[in-house]
Amino acid sequence: MKEGKIIKVSGPLVVANGMEDANIQDVCHVGTDRLIGEIIEMRGDEASIQVYEETSGIGPGDPVISSGEPLSVELGPGLIASMFDGIQRPLDTFMKLANSDFLVKGVETVALERETEWTFKPTVAVGDQVVAGDIIGEVPETKVISHKIMVPYGVKGTVKSIEEGTFKVEDTVYVLETEDGDKAFNMIQKWPVRRGRPIAEKLNPKEPMMTGQRVVDTFFPVVKGGAAAVPGPFGAGKTVVQHQIAKWGDAEIVIYVGCGERGNEMTDVLNEFPELIDPKTGESIMERTVLIANTSNMPVAAREASIYTGITIAEYFRDMGYSVAIMADSTSRWAEALREMSGRLEEMPGDEGYPAYLGSRIAEYYERAGKAISLGQQGREGSVTAIGAVSPPGGDISEPVTQSTLRIVKVFWGLDATLAQQRHFPSINWLNSYSLYLTEVGDYLNEAVDPSWAAMVQEAMTILQEEANLDEIVRLVGIDSLSEKDRLTLEVAKSIREDYLQQNAFDDVDTFTSREKQFLMLRLILAFRSISLRALDLGAYLDEVLEGTIELRDRIARSKYIPEAEISKIEQIQKDLQVKVEEIIEKGGLQHD
Amino acid sequence: MYKKIGIVGDKDSILPFMALGLEVVAVTNEMEARIGIDRLAKEAYPVIFVTEPVAQMVPETIKRYDNVAIPGIILIPSNQGTLGIGKERIRENVEKAVGQNIL
Repeated sequence: MKEGKIIKVSGPLVVANGMEDANIQDVCHVGTDRLIGEIIEMRGDEASIQVYEETSGIGPGDPVISSGEPLSVELGPGLIASMFDGIQRPLDTFMKLANSDFLVKGVETVALERETEWTFKPTVAVGDQVVAGDIIGEVPETKVISHKIMVPYGVKGTVKSIEEGTFKVEDTVYVLETEDGDKAFNMIQKWPVRRGRPIAEKLNPKEPMMTGQRVVDTFFPVVKGGAAAVPGPFGAGKTVVQHQIAKWGDAEIVIYVGCGERGNEMTDVLNEFPELIDPKTGESIMERTVLIANTSNMPVAAREASIYTGITIAEYFRDMGYSVAIMADSTSRWAEALREMSGRLEEMPGDEGYPAYLGSRIAEYYERAGKAISLGQQGREGSVTAIGAVSPPGGDISEPVTQSTLRIVKVFWGLDATLAQQRHFPSINWLNSYSLYLTEVGDYLNEAVDPSWAAMVQEAMTILQEEANLDEIVRLVGIDSLSEKDRLTLEVAKSIREDYLQQNAFDDVDTFTSREKQFLMLRLILAFRSISLRALDLGAYLDEVLEGTIELRDRIARSKYIPEAEISKIEQIQKDLQVKVEEIIEKGGLQHD
Repeated sequence: MYKKIGIVGDKDSILPFMALGLEVVAVTNEMEARIGIDRLAKEAYPVIFVTEPVAQMVPETIKRYDNVAIPGIILIPSNQGTLGIGKERIRENVEKAVGQNIL
């Protein structure tokens, strides 16, 4: 292909002429160092290229060579437990090649380790007809994940030869007899990151993704195949929420994209994840995690690509029939990368300088989440759940990135600086957060856990809303003006807030709560309310009830520290509570109704 | 709309009020007093007279109705003579309402 010449360099943006052969979105090699870039605009023979590496030292006159291929990722065994940069270069290989802890420009690596040998076991026999998306064999990639080798898109034919054994990723493992002659395939597929992988059918997601976080699972659930946004000011705990979901969410594969945030946060992930044991499989959760890192000091253009790299890998695992969760922390940094490139391209800015197409780009990303049936003769059901952190400057969610995100996602976990200051973590504000999946999840959990689940959640939410109203009255005229029932409501709301919603991510027991334990805990708190209400009706005074139940209320507060294996203790508290309040009523000299 | 007046106290003090058509609740101990006052309050008697000695037995119960419009609890002397607490309460309430002691 014809070689172009650089005419302008502006940070990560390089303009070259003589590029009439190239197409938009082609990957280019820029300069004598062969930096990797992607064409993002074409005007005549002038191409604007965003360069994914540092551009210092290159100047006008340097050559640009287009590879003629769009930016793609390599998909195959070796993805799990790896850490890649924004354009899928493995960081550990990179470190060895560059002999540096930082990204050195012009280093070319391959995404998947070529030398590792994988045990391949075919699932089809010679002579079988296969179409795109069919599984032809399996590779046990880690102890928990069986990597399924699928026929690439656009290929169909008859299996001519296939073998069991150990192979490297580039070795031929099967040959198909197609209409255009025999074709040999290895275990690698390539896929352009900016195109969603095709599916047979998109489904309506209904099954909740259990995260073990009480406020999320109970009040603002996200479904497998849904999308959620976590906006919040600095220090409100966005990263901890994302980490918690990555650790405890019941997705089978987790892709964690550290996008423009602090490098230490990725280090935390690297330090913590290998030590944590997945409760479902008993293996380290690193065995199901793929990390993509573009920390704040890495090239800004690659940040733009990192999100797409992540979701393409997620889609690949979805096609195997897994439920995948992708966390992006934070999409604001990604939007800022878009803004930087847009500014350098001299495009007309929209709100706050973001490009006018910000909304459609964000939509493109979140719309790739979903529950789907994959291609192939026997379609598999898989899902991609996208959870994006958003860091609105000053915590003001009326800014463009948050607003464009909220237009698409159906779950909003609004983190609150005030709550964070009060040490209420996770600081998800229960009054302005929402989940549009609540009805579906309610129906699902009514069947899976207990028929009263949805009603209980509704009741607890109503109590919290009443508390907000009562708080205003208290602030105006004082607590004495409230009736005893209202004061009880305040007391119960406090219990829901402190004993249920607050959850310590750094406590061994409290960090994860199963749905059964959540049900028992919530039922216990609501039982306190109904039992106390009955006592008030029968003539007991609120002060007497509160005084008599001090010790029991303390046990309710500590019920979150009851290990999963002993959750029957929670039921015992409820029984004790019942007995205790009966005693109080009797002391009041009143008859049972 | 007519509402009745209730009176709670020891039998000797309150019996004459029966002649006036008041709901008379005679009590002898703390528990009876509490149940009696709470019952009248629940049945929406707008005014409940309570004799001073009985009121002294159940300060918690009297306090519960301090901040509500209905019922109004008014302390009256018993047949043993006044203890002064009824008058004291009225003086306090007037002071709260108008800002100074005008009695």
